[in-house]
Amino acid sequence: MRLSRLKSHIHVFSLVSVLAGVLLIVPFIATFTEAFGGDLSAWNHIREHLLYDTIINTIILVGFVALFSSAIGFYSAYVVERYSFKGRTFFKWGLMLPLALPSYIAAYVYADMLSYTGTVTRFLNGFGVNHGLNVMTLPGAIFIFTFTLFPYAYMLTRASIARQDASVLESATLLNAGPLRTLFKITLPLARPALVAGTFLVVLETLNDYGVVSYFNVRVFSFAIFDAWFRLGDTLAAIRLSYYLLGLVFILIMIERLLRGRRAYTSTSYRPIRRTTLSSHAKRWVPLSLSLIMALGFFIPVLQLLYYAWLTIAGGLSVEILYISLNAISIALVTTVITVAIALMIVNFNRGKASLFKRAILRLTTLGYAIPGAVIAIAVMLFFIDIDRFSAPYREGPTLFLTASLLMLGFAYVLRFMAIAFGSLESAYAKTGEKYTEVSYTLGRSRLYTLLFVDVPLIKGGLISAAIIVFIDIFKELPLTLILRPTNYDTLATMAHRYAREEMIQEASMPSLIMIAIASVLVYLLTHRVKKGRVENAR
Amino acid sequence: MKHLLMLLGILTLVFSLSACTFGVDSDSEENITVYTDRHYDTDRDLYDTFEEETGIKVNILSDDADRLINKLENEGEDTPADILVLADAGRLHRAKERDILQSVQSDTLNANIPENYRDVDSEWFGLTRRARVMVYHPDRVDESELSTYEALAGDEWEGRVVTRSSTNIYNQSLIASLIAINGEDETKSFIEGLVSNFARKPSGNDRDQAKAVMKGTGDVAILNTYYMGRMAYSSDEYERDVAETLEVYFPNQETTGTHVNVSGAGVAKHTDNQEGAVRFIEFLSSTQAQESYASANYEYPINPDVSAHELLQGWGTFTTQDLDLSELGVHSETAAIIMDESGWE
Repeated sequence: MRLSRLKSHIHVFSLVSVLAGVLLIVPFIATFTEAFGGDLSAWNHIREHLLYDTIINTIILVGFVALFSSAIGFYSAYVVERYSFKGRTFFKWGLMLPLALPSYIAAYVYADMLSYTGTVTRFLNGFGVNHGLNVMTLPGAIFIFTFTLFPYAYMLTRASIARQDASVLESATLLNAGPLRTLFKITLPLARPALVAGTFLVVLETLNDYGVVSYFNVRVFSFAIFDAWFRLGDTLAAIRLSYYLLGLVFILIMIERLLRGRRAYTSTSYRPIRRTTLSSHAKRWVPLSLSLIMALGFFIPVLQLLYYAWLTIAGGLSVEILYISLNAISIALVTTVITVAIALMIVNFNRGKASLFKRAILRLTTLGYAIPGAVIAIAVMLFFIDIDRFSAPYREGPTLFLTASLLMLGFAYVLRFMAIAFGSLESAYAKTGEKYTEVSYTLGRSRLYTLLFVDVPLIKGGLISAAIIVFIDIFKELPLTLILRPTNYDTLATMAHRYAREEMIQEASMPSLIMIAIASVLVYLLTHRVKKGRVENAR
Repeated sequence: MKHLLMLLGILTLVFSLSACTFGVDSDSEENITVYTDRHYDTDRDLYDTFEEETGIKVNILSDDADRLINKLENEGEDTPADILVLADAGRLHRAKERDILQSVQSDTLNANIPENYRDVDSEWFGLTRRARVMVYHPDRVDESELSTYEALAGDEWEGRVVTRSSTNIYNQSLIASLIAINGEDETKSFIEGLVSNFARKPSGNDRDQAKAVMKGTGDVAILNTYYMGRMAYSSDEYERDVAETLEVYFPNQETTGTHVNVSGAGVAKHTDNQEGAVRFIEFLSSTQAQESYASANYEYPINPDVSAHELLQGWGTFTTQDLDLSELGVHSETAAIIMDESGWE
């Protein structure tokens, strides 16, 4: 085949891909070798007293978050795509808004609202309910993650349901299947791969979080890793724990593949589904339920933050927050461009057949996404220190050069979020197929030309979506940023964290709201495309 | 679209190149780099004053204490840091053990800071003080019922005590101090008794414990004095209510004294501006800076010539543990382990 013959040529794309692959692995090799040998006393202490609880808690957390977020994700996706009702267009993109609210911010805000002096408690007191609700528990964490992360499941499932062929559904109706039967026998199985993929993203985000679980004192792996590292002062144990976590992630990957199944569904013709109107009974509580979901995942915390911001604005706004916002935006923007560009080159290099290399890269990047930010940070920091020390004799200036710069942080971001860009581009390419690319090669165009002027316009939608999601994730990122940033440098996330950590929730509201505002605009852009001046909903 | 891509491409290139040098020290002016886990808006004003008086620019990297220690360790000889500022003597001791601080001889510091708030080898210096006290609701607890930390393990306190997680350094240091004074075995039985008296599984921060007492979940909480200060001056009316209603009690007045801890600073072992670093710490310990530095967080100043915030003065004077604060670090790991073993989550 044309493509495979071209593939055998050495090309800048292949070099970039291999280089990226190597750079992804090397930091982990550094930590891998450290994980064995050394003083085991702290590890034994952990193993004896804490490991069992950590594993159980993590499984419970992940299990329930997966269950609830997939349920909410599927329910909302199904209802929004298959039925028409008042406000449907708003809900369609509005249900994505919780993505703009970082989980750790939601955690601080809900904890505050449910504390003695909190809004919700006072509200309940008004009804004579004096028994408080404690959200800072494992169930509380499940709640927070479910409602701030379900959009990943929703997003992928909705896109999948939207593509389902009407003829399949019409056949079901002709064969006398009621709506419920159709739902469980047809819609759900067809959407299963997307639902599983989306829920998998939710699970990975949950595993990675440190802010929520540390604040709520929920002993899961990310917390245990930080705890071993800090409280027991043992980097070794921390690295060992992260390998346990990696093991868990591998198991999850297996489960995901199993659940996704190998079957592919195609139809010879394609007709988009027509939406049914809801019964008058359902007409009331469907929008209500969706509003509740959006309120819990977005509006309630945001309104609380707006109130706090209003309280603190009286004290004046500092110029500092402007610089910090610019920092956050600029680094997220640039790193997004680099991440998407590299992902594009790697995907392009391995088009067509499922190659071993491509699968290896996919596994590696998923690793980068699954491992807690702190561990990636250690690995990257050690890696760059080694580079700096190695190159120091050959250049002028201080020894720690790259390590003191923003480059290290940017590199870590790319490492961590490559998976998202990669996956998104893969599916975009899968949709368009190879024929246009092949035609371009047949006509004698170079690889670069084809990429820029044939492929990119074809997958433009997927590219933009990938870029937006990666940007939002980098923008919200906390643990990596805290550890690897240079002096005198803060992002909105670190600023909000700094205040929240000092329990100054009100002061944390300003940076949080700016983050949420910018992210919300991006979510809107993600779900609407501006086409020649008209704004239309993206499919 | 094409133009946008080109613009993005150029921006990326420019940014990436400049990112390589961002953050690297410029040699043009004298400066010091402070790794600190304490960062209040008012601190910036102090740094600016220091800059004006000495001409030395102050660079700040703020992060959690343990990450800073780890960073300094990894950076080794090449670290840009000159000063490390940490809350809690246990952490300062940990920094000393990891060999990232150096000994400093300064008459000014010795004069401004009492001996037991300085490291025995002069590797770190306390700059503010805080006490870990009991806070109770006067409607449910009479002051006469309270006496010592150790007494909280008694049966009469079952289901009435709240405090935060054992993973927090403040509790760890408190337990470390009890190990130093009472010995490991006695402290272990104390913890077991205390844990069985918890009104709920530890969760939240220090302020949440006070709020839990207010709500009625518990009757007495263990927390740091400065949180009461913060709540008293909070912009949230209900927090002010909590601070006004709950009472502060300084335990162990008749016995071994209330547990006191410090936040402090040390000079980095591989600093390239030792003189500037020492000057900075001397500045922070001086009467000029102490009042605002300590009051910013409602803490007690370390300099005996400086008076505390009026709220703190209102709580009266109290006897403190007669302890060299280095002990907090020495027993820190043991404390963490026996807290884990006794089920203090």
